[in-house]
Amino acid sequence: MKFKVEASGLRDKLSSFLATAKGSKRFVTGLMLLFVIAGLAVFEPVINAVRLGGRKPVEIGLFERGLPPSLEHPLGTDMLGRDVLALVLVGLRYSLMVGMMAGGIATIIGMVIGISSSYLGGRIDVVLNSITNGILILPTLPLLMAIVAYVRMDMLLVSLTLAVFTWPWSARTIRAQVLSLKERPYIMLAKVTNLSDLEIVFKELLVGLIPYIVASFSFSVIGTIMAETALRMIGLGPAEIPTLGFLLGWAMTYGALAQGFYTLVLAPAVLLVLIFVALNLVNTGLDEVFNPRLKKITGL
Amino acid sequence: MVSYAIVLFISFTVVFFSLRLIPGDPVMRFVDLMTRRYSYEMAPEIYKNVIEEYKKMFGLDKDIFTQYLCFLRELAKLNLGPSFLNFPAPAQVLILRALPWSIGLLGIATVIAWIIGVVAGTLLAWFRGSKLDHFLFTVAICMSQVPYYLMALFLVMLFAYIIPLFPPRGAYSPTLVPELSISFIWSVLRHGTLPALSLILISAFGWMVSTRSVAITIVGEDYLRFATAKGLKKRRIHNRYVFRNALLPQVTGLAMSLGFIMNGFYLVEWIFSYPGVGTLLSLALGLLDYNTIQGVILLSMFAVLTANLLIDLLYPLIDPRCLYEV
Repeated sequence: MKFKVEASGLRDKLSSFLATAKGSKRFVTGLMLLFVIAGLAVFEPVINAVRLGGRKPVEIGLFERGLPPSLEHPLGTDMLGRDVLALVLVGLRYSLMVGMMAGGIATIIGMVIGISSSYLGGRIDVVLNSITNGILILPTLPLLMAIVAYVRMDMLLVSLTLAVFTWPWSARTIRAQVLSLKERPYIMLAKVTNLSDLEIVFKELLVGLIPYIVASFSFSVIGTIMAETALRMIGLGPAEIPTLGFLLGWAMTYGALAQGFYTLVLAPAVLLVLIFVALNLVNTGLDEVFNPRLKKITGL
Repeated sequence: MVSYAIVLFISFTVVFFSLRLIPGDPVMRFVDLMTRRYSYEMAPEIYKNVIEEYKKMFGLDKDIFTQYLCFLRELAKLNLGPSFLNFPAPAQVLILRALPWSIGLLGIATVIAWIIGVVAGTLLAWFRGSKLDHFLFTVAICMSQVPYYLMALFLVMLFAYIIPLFPPRGAYSPTLVPELSISFIWSVLRHGTLPALSLILISAFGWMVSTRSVAITIVGEDYLRFATAKGLKKRRIHNRYVFRNALLPQVTGLAMSLGFIMNGFYLVEWIFSYPGVGTLLSLALGLLDYNTIQGVILLSMFAVLTANLLIDLLYPLIDPRCLYEV
């Protein structure tokens, strides 16, 4: 038989996925950058506990006010006498947490909708697809602003709200991919061998979708962190979740720039840029490796 | 055409109802603000009456469906209803006052970025594989994903505070009166430079990436080989064959992004306190000014859909091949 049904598990597929992805310089660079950023975020409690001697980074008047950057305070202190580096690390942790949660939820919704719409086809596809496209044309930011301004939110609710407006992008990517995958011979074969739809989706389709799911996830994380930062910068959202955007908004309203506290604005902004760049490198890298047509054309 | 109208109608209806479902009483907030502003004490029953009166004026005393119908009826007359933000001026007046600033700033910036990006993108594709191409392409991939507002922050910090070359906020110097004089225009240009630059620097790279990937598929086409074999000058091949073909999809992109102008740039306006639609929206949100918020959102959706429609209608004119397919 020409097309053999591969019985290999998901783990084999994942490791072969990583082996292929390693071929892209951009993917590897992005991933390494991500690891560094994530490492900073994960070890934030430890780093801050050691540096501040167990006191809270947000505690006012912990140090002298407005110290310039030095060895002891690499980013100086702010106008309330707090260590800027400590504040930024806390912000990074929360930003990444919101991004991962919201991005994760968005990707899962996008997967469910994208796969069911394209796999089932017919009328379901028409309905789900028009819902997807309908949300895509909504002016997301003003709507988010209106919702976040008046609803008290915790972490989960913020993530859910962000995800509601982000999932259509994943759904569209995944739908397009499934549409092409489901016509492939091995899926046809699976159908002939009487596998149930669920089995086909989980055993056969999902495996082929891995690069696109990873790309959707990193795309969603970019989108949600961007939106979250935008909202927090204009002073919306709960103060209990001090993300980088919240820090930026706070710094702007207190005139940090006019008073010369540049690190308070520069550090969060640079970290955010690094997050976006890293995720985007991962995305482009994936595209290079898993889209051989593109690779041949670009010759990079 | 009809389907566009339907999409617009449904999305707006969703927006209308979700806005009203947001907890918070704008009238109470508004009256409280007034009493505080004019330090005016009111007896509780008068306070209640005042609130009732205002609710009637805004049509908020009726149930949500009647409100919706009322809104649609008034919308047909292009009346969005009074605003809280600048009572009793109607919302459409506020929006119309802010709109020229937004369109002027963002429209011009978008077009400049597009031109730079498309030209640079085709050049990169032409010189593909060179060191410069590789380097610029990677830079462009990274830069195109930086949000406008972060770029705006960097620029403000650098060129308004550390090196005070440009003013950090506003659309023109507060000492000037809007008029057609050289000093006023100079002031507007100076104030617009940084916000425009933050858009141009990011989106030009975005256009560069997309144009390069379009142009690079063209560079490999057979008809180019034929053109070369025919002995056409390289310059002519680039200008007439590559550039023109790469331009087509990018025109669609330009129309889309002009439609999305209202969507993505609120934050930049907010950072520069630029008196455009974005700043208006964030002020309106602070007061839960239904009429103004609805107006801005309606306008945004209308812009996006109109851009879509225009592309569908105009594309055959730009690309003659479309006509044959139809």
